[in-house]
Amino acid sequence: MTDSASEARIDRALVTRVLLRDDRKAFEQLLRRHQGMVRAQLRRLLHGDAAGADDLAQETFLLAWRKLDQFRGDARFSTWLYRIAYSCFLQAHRKNRQIADDAQDEAEQLPAPSHAMDLQLDLERAMRRLSTAEQTVLLHCVQMGLSHEEAAYVLAMPLGTVKTHATRGKAKLKAWLAVWHEAARVEETP
Amino acid sequence: MNQSQDDATEALLRTQFDGPVLDEGFSRQVMQRLPQRRRRVTWPLWGGVLAGAGACWAALLFSPLLRVGWMDWASGHWSAAAITLSLAMLGMAMLAFAWGVTEADDR
Repeated sequence: MTDSASEARIDRALVTRVLLRDDRKAFEQLLRRHQGMVRAQLRRLLHGDAAGADDLAQETFLLAWRKLDQFRGDARFSTWLYRIAYSCFLQAHRKNRQIADDAQDEAEQLPAPSHAMDLQLDLERAMRRLSTAEQTVLLHCVQMGLSHEEAAYVLAMPLGTVKTHATRGKAKLKAWLAVWHEAARVEETP
Repeated sequence: MNQSQDDATEALLRTQFDGPVLDEGFSRQVMQRLPQRRRRVTWPLWGGVLAGAGACWAALLFSPLLRVGWMDWASGHWSAAAITLSLAMLGMAMLAFAWGVTEADDR
């Protein structure tokens, strides 16, 4: 049995304990097991706003507590939590401002590299130039390691749309970061 | 664009992700704010089932429909009462089937 399968089994057992025996300790274990990734997900979605992310994470777990009987076990518990967290984020985001898709589709190459920190900064800038949907899909599929199917469930998007955003997002990043790849290849060549 | 560039971009994205956030009292705070779980109240459902069954029983008790329909059906005579009885049984079976399928889909 794989690690993720046994992790999912533990989660399901804990959920059952909460539902059958109203076991708060079991919910605390679920909370401790998953708070790290849920908060990381929300921090990325809020572009590093740790306080805002923690408020939303708290709301996420309170909602999970209230709606736990709606968890059917057809998705992993973590994926179910990410879905709640994402819908909390969307609600908060809609309240604060309209989602502005400020991506520019024209591929523009970033300045040549000088050192490793620049690469991280450029990647950060490049990520922000992607559309909100592409950023969100890449966050879930590449950075958080979800499958396309799981990302589609979390983001409530059709599977085909998730795949398209992932492919387009990666293609744009590759184009914008082409200078870096070129430089790395030149350095590797003796 | 080649596979190595693809892998390099994905690897870069992964290194940019900080990973799970340390707890640092977060779980304790959430546990303090956790309300009592509301127990699902089931008595209205069972009350409704009992009231419905009672009303059916009372309605059929003084009606010859059930007895006549049953006897006609048993003797192979398709009277109005037998057909009504058969349709009612078929309807209940279909409802039970639809309910079963819906429950199975939800799991």
